[in-house]
Amino acid sequence: MIIRRILLSRESILLYVLLAMCVGFSIFVEGFLDWWSISERTRYWIIPGMIAVPMTFIIATAGIDLSVASIVAMCGIVLGLLYRDAQWPIWCAACAAVFAGLLAGAFNGGVSSYLKIPPLVVTLATMALFRGVAMGLSKARSISDFPDGFQWLSQGDVFEIHVGDSVSAFVPVPLFALIAVVAVGWLLMRRSWIGRFTKCIGENEIAAEFAAIDVRRLKFALYAACGLVCGIASLFNTALYATAKADTAAGMELEVIACVVIGGTRISGGEASVIGSLLGLLIIGILRYGLEMAGVKSQHVIIFVGALLIITAVFNEWMAGRRGVEG
Amino acid sequence: MPALRDAGLEVRAGEVHGLVGENGAGKSTLINVATGLLRADAGQIVLAGSPIRLSTPRQAAGLGIAVVHQEADLFAQLSIAENMLLARGLVRGPGGLVNWPGTYREAAELVAAMGEAFDVRGVAGGLSVARRMMAEIAAAVSEQARVLFLDEPTSALTLKEIGNLFDQIRRLRDAGVGIVYVSHRLEEVLDISDRVTVMRDGETIETHPTAELTVNHIVASMVGRELAQLFAKREIPLGEIRLRVENATGKTGAFRDISLDVRAGEVLGLYGFVGAGRSEFGQALFGIQRLASGSISIDGKPIKVRSPRRAMRAGLAYLPEDRLVQSVFRNHAVRTNVSVASLRDLSRLGWIRSGAERRLVTHVIRAMNVRAESPEQPMGTLSGGNQQKVVFGRWQCTAPKILVLDEPTRGVDVASKSDIHRLICDLAEEGTAIVLISSELPEIIAMSDRVVTFSEGRQTGSFDPRTDGEEAIAAAAVPYSFFVKRKSKQKETRLARLLEFREIGLLAFILLLSAAMTALRPSEFANAKNFFDILASAALPAIMAQGAMLIICAGGIDISVGSMMGLICAIAAMAAKSGYPPLLCLALAVALGVMFSMLNGGTALIARIHPIIVTLAGISIYRGIMRIVTGGREVMLLPSEYRVLADGNLLGIPKLCYYVVAVTLVAHILLRYTLPGRRVLALGNSETAARLIGLSKTRLTLFVFAVSGALVGLTAVLQAGYYGKVQANTGMGMELRAIAAAVIGGTNILGGRGSALGTLLGAFLVALLYNMLILLEASSYWQNIFVGGLILLAVVLDALLERIRRAKA
Repeated sequence: MIIRRILLSRESILLYVLLAMCVGFSIFVEGFLDWWSISERTRYWIIPGMIAVPMTFIIATAGIDLSVASIVAMCGIVLGLLYRDAQWPIWCAACAAVFAGLLAGAFNGGVSSYLKIPPLVVTLATMALFRGVAMGLSKARSISDFPDGFQWLSQGDVFEIHVGDSVSAFVPVPLFALIAVVAVGWLLMRRSWIGRFTKCIGENEIAAEFAAIDVRRLKFALYAACGLVCGIASLFNTALYATAKADTAAGMELEVIACVVIGGTRISGGEASVIGSLLGLLIIGILRYGLEMAGVKSQHVIIFVGALLIITAVFNEWMAGRRGVEG
Repeated sequence: MPALRDAGLEVRAGEVHGLVGENGAGKSTLINVATGLLRADAGQIVLAGSPIRLSTPRQAAGLGIAVVHQEADLFAQLSIAENMLLARGLVRGPGGLVNWPGTYREAAELVAAMGEAFDVRGVAGGLSVARRMMAEIAAAVSEQARVLFLDEPTSALTLKEIGNLFDQIRRLRDAGVGIVYVSHRLEEVLDISDRVTVMRDGETIETHPTAELTVNHIVASMVGRELAQLFAKREIPLGEIRLRVENATGKTGAFRDISLDVRAGEVLGLYGFVGAGRSEFGQALFGIQRLASGSISIDGKPIKVRSPRRAMRAGLAYLPEDRLVQSVFRNHAVRTNVSVASLRDLSRLGWIRSGAERRLVTHVIRAMNVRAESPEQPMGTLSGGNQQKVVFGRWQCTAPKILVLDEPTRGVDVASKSDIHRLICDLAEEGTAIVLISSELPEIIAMSDRVVTFSEGRQTGSFDPRTDGEEAIAAAAVPYSFFVKRKSKQKETRLARLLEFREIGLLAFILLLSAAMTALRPSEFANAKNFFDILASAALPAIMAQGAMLIICAGGIDISVGSMMGLICAIAAMAAKSGYPPLLCLALAVALGVMFSMLNGGTALIARIHPIIVTLAGISIYRGIMRIVTGGREVMLLPSEYRVLADGNLLGIPKLCYYVVAVTLVAHILLRYTLPGRRVLALGNSETAARLIGLSKTRLTLFVFAVSGALVGLTAVLQAGYYGKVQANTGMGMELRAIAAAVIGGTNILGGRGSALGTLLGAFLVALLYNMLILLEASSYWQNIFVGGLILLAVVLDALLERIRRAKA
């Protein structure tokens, strides 16, 4: 019975879809199964993937954060300016950048949670606000010349795996960071009261208040944590491109939210799956990679991501309706 | 347990028929069946001799059956006149447009016919409860109501207002209307009614002419029942005083000057009717509601209960009254529902100790005698009684010193009821002090050591259930009018006027900024060319903003309009270059806009997901399609016949301005003077109230999306025409400017209130600020900050204003 439940769970189905996609692409698309190429790709995935973890919690409370991409951009600029213009040591600048992200997230959480304004509106406004700060501070010029040690964060490898005689695969550093964040997120969601309370709030906020859960403080903390993770992600983002630009990560909020929705978390709150968000990330990542290998231009790939988001959101609600689950 | 069993009511023309009964006797259910809100499983409704089938309240109202509820959903941001007449029909003038003077006059006449005189133009949310109720009665009467149900009409009225109301009721009765007067205030009921029907446990017990009745007789009928085998509390020696409350008064005024104490092992019953303030008192003990004055001490130590968590730490626990809304997490496992209050104590460093949790849950399920197959099954699959036992267990395992139970056996089957009673007794024997809030007299009498009666927020008596009879207790809980010492309600605020302030304020602010700029940069700012530049920059966002405003008024949002505009811009421009006549391109653009936009709105509706998700995806989909369509290249060199639509001046003023003025005018007329516009606002105010009067959310939502889409199409054509080219990033960010303009202009982001003129001024303000940035040589990269900051500022200010207004009410 339990085996059956696991095999038919949302996460398992996502895994099947992922495997099917891999199989499909490897048959129809030349050069898909290049391990080196794929592992290089994972360096890109970590940025939305990392942020998808706190976003899972936020959406589970029936909230949303549209400003994540803008926070990443802003923190990158903070990092660049402190390093280049204020001559801070790189890792101090990095800490400051992460702290800036925390402050941004705290702002989102404070205004939405304590002033009782819908997070949709707040983060729509801060999406523009933070991006504007990034643009204004950097005067739309990019900042390069980051030290090699810093670039190692995204461009380096940790292990070398030998597969066969000549082929060897690397485990990129970012992959470790992604796994670490997902692991922490999964533990928090499944094994800690933070995750449990998050889902309760999403399902019935009034009952959560009556059950002595400090709803406002928890929601505030989730948005602040999201900002923090965005700050960390901005380090990887900057290291990846070896450049800090104010218009970086454009449209990334869509990808992050798509990861979460594909992963099974409902927009109306109450259900959440961190592993699902990870699988959602992999699906989107493989989809983009496969399509690009097949010759589809990257600006067109984004159409697929958008369509996938809508289809999955519709599917989630339909499934919930069938199970007789409350909205 | 059925809410109604063989209940029957007969109302004659020209009579006032009182309907009384305890909480849960079935009065509300009976009213809901009679007015079309609920369908009865059996039985029939006969109106003037012919049997009828009621399907909706709207249909019932059409047949002449009207109801005025105590807590009605209304359209708070619309005028009281509109609230009264929207369902029946606003007064229309030429062309089908709303005739406001006529509407206000008609509403005022209806109000005057009730003997009242207040400003019907005032916003409904700012009106006192009494006036609102009068207005609703007036509206019901205007629809030739033959039967009028009044549900607890006097609970929020002063003596003078009650007198007024009774005059009106008598007037209606003399005019032949049959009135059903439902109230707990038995003296009032006897005063106004010709006959009275008593309900108990879902049945109608008896009906008598008022002349033959006394309050005592009614009370006896309401409560008299065989005291079935109810678990009686064993007498045990009581310990020290656990909880002492002195002169507690609630901040919302729901209860006043309550003083009581409860000892260890004692069960203190709080008995009263709806509105007596017991739940609010219980919630104040638990920190959910605030105390305005008074003190609470536990075990002799005074405490300030500021939150449920603090209350729990201090040893309190509260079982809420409304199980489904306030206690139960239906989709979560039984295990979660049991452990939620204890979870933090079961955790170490954030990590839940699952072994400990499982043991706790197993223990609770066994101790509470919960019938569940496994702790993992969803709470929603349990019966009501078992759910209640789970919630009971949730609080019991926090080992409270004082447990407040609010209607613990409401809606619970007989077996679970006696389980819960047994549990209460066991807990008392273990030394817990228990406050039992209940409206069931037999339960209170069987379970309590002492009973305190509440009435209209005050303590009215203390009884020993073993010696004092149930009728004495019930009589003490009956509310009497002279108890009510209510201040005459506040002045009515006209939110509409506040909105006018908004537009005037915006205009003033714009003039102020302009004056400042003229002083700072006289030559660059204060000339015609610069002014027209600002107008041109404001024009296109202003047009799109009207569409955004309409969607927001309906309660939705669309953040894909910028990308949609870019796509349509490209298509229309390419069509123009291919030689199609410009007007055809315009028609094409508008048609595409309507189609895409309705697709957005329709998908969100059908899939029941918030439009934000659909439109978020829409941004990338539309922009991606645009790149495919244009091949990534700019579309340039547009034919002059096409550009002439938008570019250049007419009579010295940029052509764009004419479009803006026309669109703003149309939007204003649409929102203010057409039925679809008024209905959209109604929907944005209250979806439930809108549904009750028969409005279709689907149609109204698709309508606003369609209008917005048409405006997006128009903007697209003008954009290409004016700038002469279409680039990859055309339209990017426009949606934010549109939403910002609407919000700055006074549109309520939550829906229900909007202003076309304000939106126009908002768009102009943003363009003015951008212009200032350039002229002051500030980096234009700060533009985005302004848009985001302005949206935040406007929304936060609106939220604060709303809070101030509500605090005053």
